[in-house]
Amino acid sequence: MSSEADGWNKVLWERQPFPDNYIHPHSFLSSLRRNPNFKPYTYWPLVLLCCAITQHLATIFTFLAVFVRLKERWLDARVLLWVSIVSFFGGYAMYEILSYSNPVRGAFTRSNTIKSSLLVFLALMGLSPVLRTLTAATSSDSIWALSACLFFLNALLADYSSMKPLRQERLTSVLSMNAAISSSVVLASRLPDDLAVFALVLFAVQLFALFPILRHQLQVTPQVAQILFTLTLCVLSFALTLPLSVSVAYLYAGISITVTFVAPGVLVWAQKYKNEIRGPWDVAVPRLN
Amino acid sequence: MISDFFHPNVGGVENHIFMLSANLIRRGHKVIVITHSHPPDRVGVRWLLPGLKVYYIPFPAIASSATLPNYFMFLPYFRVIIAREHIHLIHAHASLSSLGQEAILHAHHLGVRTVFTDHSLFGFEDAASILTNKLLAAALKNVDAVICVSHTGRENTVLRGQLFEMSEDSSALVVRPNVYVIPNALVAEQFTPATKPVSSETIYIVVLSRLAYRKGIDLLVATAPRICSAFPNVNFIVGGDGPKLNDLLQVRERHLLQDRIELLGPVRHRDVRDVLVRGSIFLNTSLTESFGIAILEAACAGLYVVSTRVGGVPEILPRDMISFAKPEEDDLIRALSEAVAIVSKGQHDPLEAHQKVKNFYNWGEVAERTEIVYDAVVKSEQKDLWTRMQRTMELGPFAGPIYTIILVVDCLFFLFLEWLMPRHDLDFVQMHWEHHNFRHVVQ
Repeated sequence: MSSEADGWNKVLWERQPFPDNYIHPHSFLSSLRRNPNFKPYTYWPLVLLCCAITQHLATIFTFLAVFVRLKERWLDARVLLWVSIVSFFGGYAMYEILSYSNPVRGAFTRSNTIKSSLLVFLALMGLSPVLRTLTAATSSDSIWALSACLFFLNALLADYSSMKPLRQERLTSVLSMNAAISSSVVLASRLPDDLAVFALVLFAVQLFALFPILRHQLQVTPQVAQILFTLTLCVLSFALTLPLSVSVAYLYAGISITVTFVAPGVLVWAQKYKNEIRGPWDVAVPRLN
Repeated sequence: MISDFFHPNVGGVENHIFMLSANLIRRGHKVIVITHSHPPDRVGVRWLLPGLKVYYIPFPAIASSATLPNYFMFLPYFRVIIAREHIHLIHAHASLSSLGQEAILHAHHLGVRTVFTDHSLFGFEDAASILTNKLLAAALKNVDAVICVSHTGRENTVLRGQLFEMSEDSSALVVRPNVYVIPNALVAEQFTPATKPVSSETIYIVVLSRLAYRKGIDLLVATAPRICSAFPNVNFIVGGDGPKLNDLLQVRERHLLQDRIELLGPVRHRDVRDVLVRGSIFLNTSLTESFGIAILEAACAGLYVVSTRVGGVPEILPRDMISFAKPEEDDLIRALSEAVAIVSKGQHDPLEAHQKVKNFYNWGEVAERTEIVYDAVVKSEQKDLWTRMQRTMELGPFAGPIYTIILVVDCLFFLFLEWLMPRHDLDFVQMHWEHHNFRHVVQ
C-alpha cells in the first residue's frame, strides 16, 4: 500500500503509531466515485422516446371508442372485421418493408406467420360464442372497473424500449399483453351478438399483440416519420373519442400532453438529485471470456 | 455482547464474538452474551468456557439466524438482564442483527453505554440495501462508538450510516471522531503449517469456500481448465458446498479433469487446517469480502495466497505473501502463474509466513484495542433525551419523525415496565464465575 506523507498506511497487519479512530484526511473515501456512469438526459430526445408511450395510449383509447360504438350498435361488426383484416395485411407489409433494412433474426418465416395468423383467426371465430357468455353473471360496473385496471396495468408494464429483444421477451411485456387481451375479452362479453364479439377480440389481438411489434420496428425510422405517425394516431383517437364524450376526450388529451411533454421535463429536472455511489465495497462483476 | 449471530451457529461473526469475549474475560472484565434461542431446546441461560454466560431469548429466527425487527418486544428482557447483571456497556455486532440495533435503542434508559461493530460490506442500490441502510443510520445516530473490521469497511459504514457531523466551526460535515478500525484476528495455534514439507513436484491449489455466486465460483470454473492445461504439475483441491457445485462438476467432466480437481464436499471447521496443509497455494475468488478471514487462516497455515482485489482484502497481508488479481479471467490466470512460479522456485517459506501472521494478528491485541474504545466511551458524556430526539429528527423528513416517535414510545414503555416490574423486585446476580476463585477452590 502506498504510504502517506505522515506515515499512515492503509493496512491492517501493522500496528500503526496512530490511534484507531484516526482518519487520514486525503485517503479517506478517496476511491469513492460519484455518478461514474452518468449520461444526462436532454429534453427533446426524451420527448421523441416518449412518443412510444403516446402511441400506446392512443391505441388504448381508439380501442375503447370502437368498443363503445359497437355496443351502441353505431358501428357494424362486419365493417370492423374488414378494417381488421385490411390493416393486418397493411401492417404486415409495412413490417416487411421496414425489416428489409434491419433484419430481425428469428425463427418466424413467412409461411409460419401466415399459418399462425390463420389459426388465430379461425380459433377466435370458433370461440366467440363462448366468449360472449363469459361474464353473464357479472354486473356491468364490475366489468368497467376490471377493464380499467387491466388497461392501466397494460399501459404501465408495456415494453416501450426501442430495441426489439432478440432473446426471450421480458416478463413485464408478456404480462402487459395478457392484461390487454383479458380486458378486451371481458369487455367483448358485454356485446350483444357473436359477430361483434369476434370482430372486437380480433381487433384487440391486432392492436395489443401485433401492433407493438410494428412499433418496435417503427422506432428506428427517421424522426419526422415517427412524429407524423404519432400525431396521426393521436388525432385519430381524439376524433373517435370526441363524439362519444367530451370530458373523456379532453381527459385523454390532457394525459397525452402530460406524458409527452411534461413528464420528460420532470425527469430532466430530477437529474440533479442523482447520487450513485461506487467504491471498493461494491460486489465486483466477474469478466469471463 | 448482543447479537443474533452466536453459537451454536458457526461463522465469522460468531467466532469473533466468542474470541473477543474470552479475551476480555482473561483481562478481568465480566462479559455476558445475549442472543436468540435455537429450537428445539437451546433457550434460557447457558454457560460457555471460559466463564461466559449466554442468555438465549425465546425469539424465533426467520432467515439464516436473523430475527424480525421489532422495536419494543426486546425491552422487557433487556431491562431485566442488564439490571440484574449490573452491566455498564453493551456491544452490538452485525448490521443485520435486529437484537443488536434494538439494544442500542434501549440502552440509554438504564444509563448503559453502547458500542457497535460492523462486520460486512453492503451496496447502496438494491431494495434490501436501501432499507437496511436506513435502519442502520437510525440506530447509529445515538451510538457511542462504531468499530469496523477494515478501512474499506469503515468507509462503507460511514457512508451507509451517514456518520457525519457538523465540525466545531460549523463549516463542513466531517466524519464523527468515534469510528474505529480494529481488525479481526485468528487463533494462530489452530493453523500451523505442515510439519514435513509438501512435495514440490505437484503443486496443490486449495479453494475452500461456500460455492455461491458471491464467492466468484464462475471465475474458478473459467480458470481451472486453463491452469490445468498450462501447468501439468498443478492440481486443485476444492472444499465446500453450495449452489455452484454443479458448475464445477460439469467443467471437470467436460475437460476430463477428474484426477486433477478433487472435490471434497462440505468441510467442518476443525478439519480446515488438515485440508489447508495439503496445498501450497490458496485461491480466493470472492467478488466481495470485507475482511477475508479465510485468507488469513490459509496464510497462517503457510500457503501463498492468490486473491481478487476486492473490498478489504488489499489491507490484510503484505505484498510478499499475497498476489492480487482483478476479478477477470485473464488477470487471475496471470496471478496464478506468478504464484506457481514463486512456489516452484521455493521463494515462499511456510514457517516464516506462519510466524509473521502470528505476530500480525492475535486476539489479545484486539481485546486490548477494544478495551481502549470502551474506556473512551465510558469516559465520554452520556447524551440526554432531548439531544437524542434532536439527533434522530435529523434523519430526514419522513424517517426522522417516525424514529423519534419510536424513541418516545420506547421511553413510555420503559416507564410502564418500571411500574409493572419494579427494580427492587428483580433477582440481582450476586455471584459470577471468577477464574481466580475457581483456582483457589481447586488448589
